[in-house]
Amino acid sequence: MSASARLLRSLRPWVFPVLLLALLEWAARTLTPGSDAVAPPSQALAAFIRALGSTSEDGLLRASLFTLGSAGAGLLIGGGLGLGLGILLGLSRRAASMGFLSIEVLRPIPSVALIPLAMLVFGFGFRMEISVVAFACFWPLLILAQAAARQVEPGLLEVARALELSPWARIRKIVLPAMVPRLFVALRLGVSIALVVAVTVEIAANPHGMGYALMIAQQSLAPDLMLAWLGWIGLVGYAINLAALRLQQALAWRMGQRQAGASS
Amino acid sequence: MSEPLLDFKAVRIELGGREIISPIDFSVAAGEFVCIIGPSGCGKTTLLRAAAGFVQASGGQVLRAGQAVTGPSREVAFVFQDYGRALLGWRSVAGNIALALEAAGIAKAERAARIARVLETVGLSEHADKFPAQLSGGMQQRVQIARCLAQQPQVMLMDEPFGALDAMTRESLQDEVSRLVRQTGLTVLFVTHDLEEAIYLSDRVIALRTNPSADKPSLAAMVNVPIARPRDQLLTKEDPEFVRLRRELYGYLGHHA
Repeated sequence: MSASARLLRSLRPWVFPVLLLALLEWAARTLTPGSDAVAPPSQALAAFIRALGSTSEDGLLRASLFTLGSAGAGLLIGGGLGLGLGILLGLSRRAASMGFLSIEVLRPIPSVALIPLAMLVFGFGFRMEISVVAFACFWPLLILAQAAARQVEPGLLEVARALELSPWARIRKIVLPAMVPRLFVALRLGVSIALVVAVTVEIAANPHGMGYALMIAQQSLAPDLMLAWLGWIGLVGYAINLAALRLQQALAWRMGQRQAGASS
Repeated sequence: MSEPLLDFKAVRIELGGREIISPIDFSVAAGEFVCIIGPSGCGKTTLLRAAAGFVQASGGQVLRAGQAVTGPSREVAFVFQDYGRALLGWRSVAGNIALALEAAGIAKAERAARIARVLETVGLSEHADKFPAQLSGGMQQRVQIARCLAQQPQVMLMDEPFGALDAMTRESLQDEVSRLVRQTGLTVLFVTHDLEEAIYLSDRVIALRTNPSADKPSLAAMVNVPIARPRDQLLTKEDPEFVRLRRELYGYLGHHA
């Protein structure tokens, strides 16, 4: 394949977004000039650069840090607890049957329905957002960790018994490493849930972060800024999903050495 | 005579309401190599698992060095038939062997030397850094055996360890296990459904039958194998004593085959 053909192929994924932006630019300028709802992407870009330079609470950097910080902390707390409990429930049938009813009753509660309660308990700010994100991340991590722990090769657990490993050593040396490939699926799911819920909490209630900045832009009839935030949130989501995927691939590659001879 | 290392006293095992093993009595002396043989479903693996403490006897007692076996112990090494499910795929060969040493609380400084020693014993020194999936089945089973040796157990229990291997690999591993058992003086209880393997390896063969009843107990036969060691795949199997034992045991098992 020639170099120019390769270049053309690498440009292929960009064709559609560029066309869409051009169409939007044209439509916003000719069909709905001066609209309160739609702004041309070029103006959104200008608004984005202004927001980037702002050091106020709803400036780009501070708002993004707030959202990512609470999403990360919520994922860490909720996901960590879900992971721990999931392993316990996956390894112990008794624990699983004890927890079954409570889990099935609590799990279907939409996490955003917890916002009023979280507001009463924590007020506005970091802690209420973290608590809602943690609740949202807890369940999928719990369910996936439970399934992953249950699928750990029984032969390996027998080896652990034969060697008289302590329960903690059994989890650390056998169960957790055996679960890793499946846990990464759970982590990627958790990452995207955490971001969605954090932004939702900010749009619905919490006067901080990217979601709130998006709302403010809407309420102050600044469609260019609103579009800028929308694009930015999408970009951030894409970036952290990509990061999680890369992390998974790097680890899969490292552990892939054990797959190397599997096909022969 | 000294106290037997393993002592089965009227051991009866019931699983899911069915009697798998009717009361059986036998013992294994220190340094002895005993094979349990029988058709599928005769409970030979179950009996081995009772010796390991994975399964509790429904009646009678399993004693190890005079103590009742109540659960698994590091003093007992268990070689599982399915090496693929017994090795940690994310650890190298050396790492898999290290697991046994970590479990025993061996200091890190001492581990490397002991790993090197058992790897040398099973002829895997060059493969210490490879991962299980990079090795052939026979080599993976050697890793498992090496891990068991690293435990420095009183007794090694082997559950059809060569059942999944091709004939050539099986024979070379038989010779290797014979050799290292002679070197280490290890006591072995070995389960197989291969009659020739049982006679070739052991000092004594215990034949079990399926569906035990009052007049036909689990223990079908127990015969000594008075063939000198070291043994040889070709010569030993042509030895008149080997042929006689093979015929005798075949009679016990033939009806169920």
